[in-house]
Amino acid sequence: MDCCYIGIDLGSTTTKAVFLDENENILGRGITNSRSNYELACQVAREEAEINARFELLKRKLGGDPRVASQLDSVMDNLACQYALAQHLKQLEALRNEVTSIVKNWIHHKEDTDEYLEAQETIFDFLVLQAYQDFLPGAEVQSDFFRDLATSLYLKQADLVTKERQLSFERLVGVFDAAIIRVENKSFALFYREYLDFARDRVVEMEMFKDLKGNICDAVLDITKKEFNILNTVGTGYGRLTLPFAKEQIRSEILCHGLGAHFMFPDTKTVLDIGGQDTKAIQVDGSGIVTSFQMNDRCAAGCGRYLGYIADEMNMGVHQLGPLAMTSKKAVKINSTCTVFAGAELRERLAYGEKQEDILAGLHRAIILRAMSLLARSGGVSSEFTFTGGVARNEAAIAALKKLIDENYGEIKINISSDSIFTGAVGAALFAKRDPKGVMADLEISKLKATNRAARPVAEQIA
Amino acid sequence: MYYTVGIDVGCDSVKTVVMQFDSDGSGEKLILDDLNKFRKRDLKKVVNESYERVLALKKLRHDDIAYVATTGEGEMVDFRRGHFYSMTAHARGAIFLNPAVRSVVDCGALHSKVMLIDERSKVLSYRMTSQCASGSGQFLENIARYLGVAIDDVGELSLQANNPETVSGICAVLAETDVINMVSRQISTQNILQGIHLSMAARLVNLLRMVNAEGQVLITGGLAKNIGFVSAIQELSDQDKRLNVNIVSEEGAIFAGAIGAAIWGSFRHNVLLAKANSRPVCGSVC
Repeated sequence: MDCCYIGIDLGSTTTKAVFLDENENILGRGITNSRSNYELACQVAREEAEINARFELLKRKLGGDPRVASQLDSVMDNLACQYALAQHLKQLEALRNEVTSIVKNWIHHKEDTDEYLEAQETIFDFLVLQAYQDFLPGAEVQSDFFRDLATSLYLKQADLVTKERQLSFERLVGVFDAAIIRVENKSFALFYREYLDFARDRVVEMEMFKDLKGNICDAVLDITKKEFNILNTVGTGYGRLTLPFAKEQIRSEILCHGLGAHFMFPDTKTVLDIGGQDTKAIQVDGSGIVTSFQMNDRCAAGCGRYLGYIADEMNMGVHQLGPLAMTSKKAVKINSTCTVFAGAELRERLAYGEKQEDILAGLHRAIILRAMSLLARSGGVSSEFTFTGGVARNEAAIAALKKLIDENYGEIKINISSDSIFTGAVGAALFAKRDPKGVMADLEISKLKATNRAARPVAEQIA
Repeated sequence: MYYTVGIDVGCDSVKTVVMQFDSDGSGEKLILDDLNKFRKRDLKKVVNESYERVLALKKLRHDDIAYVATTGEGEMVDFRRGHFYSMTAHARGAIFLNPAVRSVVDCGALHSKVMLIDERSKVLSYRMTSQCASGSGQFLENIARYLGVAIDDVGELSLQANNPETVSGICAVLAETDVINMVSRQISTQNILQGIHLSMAARLVNLLRMVNAEGQVLITGGLAKNIGFVSAIQELSDQDKRLNVNIVSEEGAIFAGAIGAAIWGSFRHNVLLAKANSRPVCGSVC
């Protein structure tokens, strides 16, 4: 029986969950897109984190097995990929069923039903084949989320198929839009045993792991049966007021980000968190408690969603933006402040023949420029400086940030953890362990030097 | 008899029309329109395909078209003959659709404009939304996608609202999250949509007041087809004591820009013909 603490960070764009063991080691991490159903997002993130914890335990177990140890990473990578494939196939199957049922229930244009059903089948057959090729160790993945993967491939295929058969692209896309929402609002992690079995069977069939069959099967069986004893759960983030938790199990996201950053880098003085729709500049003391902060208000320009928009616009995954921007020799100056306008500006510039990477480099710089003004208002940047949130995974944003900090504040030690996106959830899990009675929940951050309280949605007012 | 084509390149779609004129340039008739969303496809390709399609449907050759006129972002269309400023084009298209109109509200994907015009479609004054996409057509589409509603059904649905829920008219991205919260609070799709229409309409009614609009107001642009949105504008302008307007929406109002461009194109064509006939040919290309 492994004892655990869970932190859940319910963000506007993604929901993160972290499992912490009794020695404050991160055991499992889960992330999902928040969709329009917070309760489900929490559940899915939690399930994902639990699976991730199982994989961690599996790795520890196999690592202790001298026969497997030399090939450990390769075994784990293959298992993880096959697991993701199993889950993806399950979701595709559900999506295919939804799409079929929507088309069969058409009220208008009943006469075309068969043509469209055939078109759908063709598209889905292709998507399934493609999945088998995409989920391989080391393959570049456009996104972590089923919705993004399915949407971008489906649109491409629908464009081809409708041209070939003289069907309406708009109608196929309309059906897809309705179906994907239904699929998104189901949890698929519950089938984890099925996925693990699928992954195990495919991996032990591989030529290179043939001799390890017994060892792998035993280890997988063992962790499948494992149960976790959850001692406490704490939630935070944008949607925390709708979390199905008691008041003492909820903390403000500012506190959690401060503590999470402090946990990762104990000498942290300044934290910059760029999330989906807010950017926070936080100053913390020696024990990770917040002393002042600033947030964006009225407008989401310069947050992660800005990059999400741009990625959508270019039909790429958010992961791919940073690397592409890094290849730029000359950043373009972006004129638009507004996220939506920046998307349009990008389209225009591309149509006039500007280079993708140069526009992207300009967009990344624009985001960081906005963050710099928040940092200045919160009390500047002191060493050590920790960059967290989803955008901290983006190398072009990091490069732009380093350059601007260097120009404005001189020599500063900058920390970026590979777990940066989970910082808020880690902070929440730490509160779950250290503050089970919720003493910190009553801490009034409003007494701190926060001045920007205007025009934020109600859910955002710090309690 | 001759033909012109008007192409209105918007931020998210291209509108193409074919107009037919008598030889003396009068008797303009709209004979075909074609609307295409870009949907992340290559702009130029979509525009070219649309142009070829309308010609093929009317069995016309390239040489049969007296003038290809663009408006909006149409400077990128390399086969055009001339480009017209979008306000001029929308004003002319509005007068073609309904000669009694004296103000035009053009609701596009990113920008909205309100203009005051006279009977000859001269723009007397105008107001535009600024550097922010809150309450734009693009925003409405994002929300519709989120709610799983086809954009063509948005208007119908929103009319069924019984208690519209207003959104923060601050930021398109933040408002999206507002909507997500509404969904999780179980507010009906109808009420969410009409709430959005009302907050969008409020901005436009302000602009109408700023230009001192009176009489018939035509809604053009991508949102013209959305009856819920049009009724929201009517509702709010009725509530405003200082405004005395009647909101109208015409079949084909979404093509107002393209129609206006095609008509101005015909006008240019005739001017050029007259010039060419009154001067020895010099081989210069106009």
